Amino acid sequence: MNRSHRLLAAAGAAAVMLVPAIAGCASASGSGSAPHKTQLKLYNDKGAWTPFFQQMGSLSKQQIGIGMTPVGYTDENTYQAFIDASFRTDVKPDLFTWTTGGRLQQIVSLGQVASTSALWKQAIAAGNLSPSLEPYYTVNGQQYCVPLNVSYWGMFYNKHVFGKYGLTPPTTWAQFLNVAQTLKSHGVTPFYETSTLFTFVWFEQLLAGSDPTLYNDLSTGKASYTSPGVVSVMKLWQSFINDGYMSNPGVTTDPSVMLQQGQVAMVPDGSWFNTSMTQLKLKAGTDYGFFIIPNVNPSLAQTSLIFESGPLCSLTNAPDPAASTEYMSWWLKQGPQQQWSTSRGDLSANPKVTLSGDADLSAVTSEVRAGKYNLLLRYFEAAPAPVLATALDAFAAFMVHPGTYMSVLQQIQTSAQSYWSTHKAGS
Amino acid sequence: MWSQTLTNPGRRLQQAPGGAARQRRRRRAAPLVGRFRYGYVSPAVLLVAVLLYLPFLWTVYQSFTSYSGLGPMTWTGLANYRTLLHDPYLLSAIRNTLLWVAGTLVLPVALGLLVAVLSYNLPHGGWYRLPFLLPYAMSGTGVAVAWGIILEHGGIANNLLSAIGLPGGGESFLLYAPQNSIAMIIASTWQQLGVNALLFVVGLQSIPREPIEAARLDGASGWTLFRRIIWPLLAPLTTVVVGLALVASLKTFDIVWVMTQGGPGRSSETLAITMYKDTFVADQYGYGSAVAIFLTVVTGIVSWLYLRRQLSSRRAIGA
Amino acid sequence: MRSRLMSGVTRRAVLIVMGMIWLFPVYLILVSALRPADSFDPSRAWVPSAHLGLWSNIAKAWSASQIGQSLGSSLLYAIVAPVLACLIGALAGYAIVVLRLRHGFAWFMIIFGGTIFPAQMLLIPLFVSYSKANLYDSRLGMIVIYTAISVPFAAFVMRNFFTGVAFSMFEAARMDGASTFRVFRQIYLPLARSALTAVFILEFTFVWNDLLFGLTLTQSQGTRPVMTALAALQSDVYAGTPVPIALAAGLVVSAPPVLLFLVTQRYFARGLALGQL
Repeated sequence: MNRSHRLLAAAGAAAVMLVPAIAGCASASGSGSAPHKTQLKLYNDKGAWTPFFQQMGSLSKQQIGIGMTPVGYTDENTYQAFIDASFRTDVKPDLFTWTTGGRLQQIVSLGQVASTSALWKQAIAAGNLSPSLEPYYTVNGQQYCVPLNVSYWGMFYNKHVFGKYGLTPPTTWAQFLNVAQTLKSHGVTPFYETSTLFTFVWFEQLLAGSDPTLYNDLSTGKASYTSPGVVSVMKLWQSFINDGYMSNPGVTTDPSVMLQQGQVAMVPDGSWFNTSMTQLKLKAGTDYGFFIIPNVNPSLAQTSLIFESGPLCSLTNAPDPAASTEYMSWWLKQGPQQQWSTSRGDLSANPKVTLSGDADLSAVTSEVRAGKYNLLLRYFEAAPAPVLATALDAFAAFMVHPGTYMSVLQQIQTSAQSYWSTHKAGS
Repeated sequence: MWSQTLTNPGRRLQQAPGGAARQRRRRRAAPLVGRFRYGYVSPAVLLVAVLLYLPFLWTVYQSFTSYSGLGPMTWTGLANYRTLLHDPYLLSAIRNTLLWVAGTLVLPVALGLLVAVLSYNLPHGGWYRLPFLLPYAMSGTGVAVAWGIILEHGGIANNLLSAIGLPGGGESFLLYAPQNSIAMIIASTWQQLGVNALLFVVGLQSIPREPIEAARLDGASGWTLFRRIIWPLLAPLTTVVVGLALVASLKTFDIVWVMTQGGPGRSSETLAITMYKDTFVADQYGYGSAVAIFLTVVTGIVSWLYLRRQLSSRRAIGA
Repeated sequence: MRSRLMSGVTRRAVLIVMGMIWLFPVYLILVSALRPADSFDPSRAWVPSAHLGLWSNIAKAWSASQIGQSLGSSLLYAIVAPVLACLIGALAGYAIVVLRLRHGFAWFMIIFGGTIFPAQMLLIPLFVSYSKANLYDSRLGMIVIYTAISVPFAAFVMRNFFTGVAFSMFEAARMDGASTFRVFRQIYLPLARSALTAVFILEFTFVWNDLLFGLTLTQSQGTRPVMTALAALQSDVYAGTPVPIALAAGLVVSAPPVLLFLVTQRYFARGLALGQL
């Protein structure tokens, strides 16, 4: 009896002591009546990059007197739902990351995003941004947001395995097939594929390398997923699976570990995969390398290169639009971008930035700047959300049952049809 | 004084007496109850109503609209529900969810009871139960990584099975339905069993000794003792465990999302995953809300049916 | 009080065998968290590494994920919300079963109904409402929602637990002149010690492991719970975090619930049956 008496008294005392602590922390984010802001909040869905963002925040504090605190989300879907919902509240990010493609158009069409056309003009003139990126940040003739990051998709390969069988990075499709065949004949699985999240990788790569126009038309609803060009790509993919070139999608091990252990010889991935390699203490050039995947169709003028780029945006109703714009302008400069790129071990949207210690990746940036490649937006951003959701599942089903490619394509087409019948095809 | 009520366990288990006795009881109870009894229950009701019911009403409204998360919400009436009825993936999601319900009742609940019965009156029983509780403390990713290693193609499960000589050495457990759901049910059992065991232990340890001693004196032992005396007296906590297991298994999301995301090809999708994907991945908030309403209605009906039966007979015994 | 269903030796043997099976995945996690970050090989995951990488893994995880401050917030939420929920739930259970609230089953179903909603659908409406009510990104807001989520479970357990207490106890105490609250405080609460402890530790773990509500309803380091920091490390593909580091972080973060289980064990020791007042 005494015990419960004391327990209740303790709970009551604790509550009394806690209330000021709790109430003291009850605060919404600052309202917009403050003058020039010196600390900006950057909302992002790359929670894993928090330390890198914080480094950039200290750097910007030193260089332009504006610091930056990241607010990281880890789940892309929850993050996007949050940002969408925030437009209905007065939780206003100073800066936030987004995706290119249809989603960018959506928020621009709501008048929520600040235009950055002036910033782009300046940056391109100063050589800090490549004109080839501009179309992806343009809606109705105006630019919005600036590139937070740029990654190019290619093939990471295990140099030791290649060296063991006397292989070098292929530059033509015939060589590419030859490499796969050689590896297979020695009992090494050539390629990595996965049935979770990145199920679209082989589809986009093979289609981009066969018929880039068709690839782009799919994303705007101008072409059908059941057209012959797409079917032949699926057949090619099926042949890879049936010939045993692909890893088993039921393996849940990280691709970086599989590459390190030699369980697969090659992993198609974005250049940000570099971070995984370095974290496993692998050395570029010694343990692994990177090459651009040759076109399937040799008669195409340029090699297709899939890229992904995340925008860094500010709101038209940001708490301090001037500070946000100044920050974005600073972000694009060579110095900050060099820091940003080096810390993550990935490429930068700024063509002047090189990745020291990684010759393969650095070469890609200069080649892109020289206009060597036909840049295509990653399927993940290019496809509208409902179509993407269907496609991701459909490709996974295909990987498990490769013979069902026609019904898989039909599924995606049904979803695409119902989407494009209610949305006009923007670009 | 109170122990006198329990010397005859048989009386506890009888049906509620008839009207007159109940009226007598009620009249006797009236002066015993304070005036503020609604005050006891109002904090709970208020919290739940404001924080949980109200937001859910928003979902109800949303289910009658078409909304992409941005821009306008267009009223579409029952269109989402009509699509629901014809959605083939909903059927497979329902099947998977039913599999989860069955699997959860059979494995974590029954095995939890077993562990509880074996350990509740052992000296240091808590230590024997610790290995079962630890998994509940592990975060979702630890569970996913460990079970990924076990279940993946070429993983520990495959190696173990072929070492023993059982079939399944070459299987990809996570790729095909229904194996992938069953494999994840096993992983979920690993995580949840300890919780059920703990709750059963609380129930077993609160059974008064008198009825058991009395029955033993009458010659009951072992299985009969359990079935006739212990099991009925355990009923209140059994209801808790089964009731919660029903609700949780119908709402299965976390472990499936973290291991297969409902794939591949939606083959391991449960209703909650369908709801989440439609809302947050495909940006179809209206349709996703309709799925949510469907799931909630099913969960509500199932739990009401189960609890109504269990708790009404309990009320009679609580006298 | 020996049940003759099985002899003590058999029971211990079965429990030990099952326990070992249950510990195997924990062993996998431990071994993987202890090994150096670049030596993880899933095909030989059960073989312990000769080198101990645990401290560097933890250090790496700590610096990469800002776990420090969020530990304090999570501790606050995971202690206060379950305590409140236990009290509120016990009060509700007491009213329904002992005070014989009219339409008690209906009241109970209303409270229990709080558990049937899928949490993911509550996130956005809660976020919008919280920002309007100035509760967004506040510790108070988090405590309120965690308490609301925990109340139905607590009410359910306590309601059912109280049905096992003989009503004559209540009658006798009332006839001795005690107020209903005093009966609650001095008879029913102490009797329910083991049930309350069970509810508390289970809800502590649930709140501790919560990710979605923390992610959606907070943004500052001072209010974010620990799982939001951890998830960045573990589930983000762009992180490239090696498995040992992610698991080491997971171990550190799992320590408080595990400690809690260890420390509260004695409440479930044999002998704390209702028979002893």
